[in-house]
Amino acid sequence: MDLLDNYKKAWDNQPEEVHKFSTIEIYKLAHSKSSSIVKWIFIIGIVELAFWFGINLLIPDSIYKIYEDFNLETELKIFMVLHYVVIIIFLYFFYLNYKKISIVGNTKKLIQGIFKTRKTIKYYVYYNLAIAFLGSLVMNSVMLSDSDKLMEIMNPENLPVNVNQLITVTIISQIIALLIFMVLLWFFYKLLYGILLKKLNKNYKELAKLDSIN
Amino acid sequence: MEKDLETKFLSEFEENQNIAHKICRLYTTNKDAHNDLFQEITIQVWKNYPKFRGDSKFSTWMYRVALNTAISLYRKSTRRVKTQDISDFAYKIKATAYDDTEELQLKSLYKAVHQLNDIDKALIFLYLEDKPYKEISETLGISSVNARVKMNRAKEKLKNILNP
Repeated sequence: MDLLDNYKKAWDNQPEEVHKFSTIEIYKLAHSKSSSIVKWIFIIGIVELAFWFGINLLIPDSIYKIYEDFNLETELKIFMVLHYVVIIIFLYFFYLNYKKISIVGNTKKLIQGIFKTRKTIKYYVYYNLAIAFLGSLVMNSVMLSDSDKLMEIMNPENLPVNVNQLITVTIISQIIALLIFMVLLWFFYKLLYGILLKKLNKNYKELAKLDSIN
Repeated sequence: MEKDLETKFLSEFEENQNIAHKICRLYTTNKDAHNDLFQEITIQVWKNYPKFRGDSKFSTWMYRVALNTAISLYRKSTRRVKTQDISDFAYKIKATAYDDTEELQLKSLYKAVHQLNDIDKALIFLYLEDKPYKEISETLGISSVNARVKMNRAKEKLKNILNP
């Protein structure tokens, strides 16, 4: 008898795996993209934060002169700090979502995790759009409420211009700039998070289907 | 349609998951690595499932996909620790008590197979699973003659490790 034949018998009689996977677990393993999508959302969130930070550092100080002129420097600083705190809180939520989805639990919990992530992203995008809109609204109303100062800044050489005309032009150009900015921002989020959300939605639907079978 | 495919995959994979577990035991030496490989096998089997025509048994086809996943993963990874985590493994085997000598044999068998290279591991695995040469050659994508030659060499290597 071959030496290996003895071992073969031991092999045939070996116990089955103690930790067997259920169909739900197998499903999750086979579709183990969900948690990686959430991970990407988290990473993109951080990159985005770094990007806006970077832009702030790159902007020349002269831009801030207009805030100085209107004595808005402190307000701007407070606003910026608050804004970043909110974004960091959002990042923390993204991270929590990621943790939750990575842990193997039951389908219901996974569905809830995906659902929560979707909600967090939605609020994140809304927040960013709202803050862009409100920020410029506040800035403009402060600027326009003090027409003398506005004249001083916009017309340093004191050329003969009609105040009303200048204000109208400023308002119109501001509105157009704001609209363009909002649309660009909206596209940016729609594209970036939309793609990730779409995949997440697909997983969600499949999971819900599976849950109804079991 | 897709729903049917998925349900079918899930039930067949669950039924045959022991194939994947056995491969994981041969190619990895700790629980984390075992689960990692198991996950990768699950992903690959599901990804390739639409291509499974059903002209062979699901288990036969699964042997092929799972083994090839283990081989390619094993090749790619250089960081995988080669030394055996004996305590972890001993625990696994001890889980069910049966014949003492067989238990010892199984332990030394695993220990020996862990020292083989990725292809030899696959050959020995298929031998232990009693697969005919035709299936072995198809699974590993080599000719029947080549499979025989390689198998004999792998068995010799294993014997030398088991009984130096």
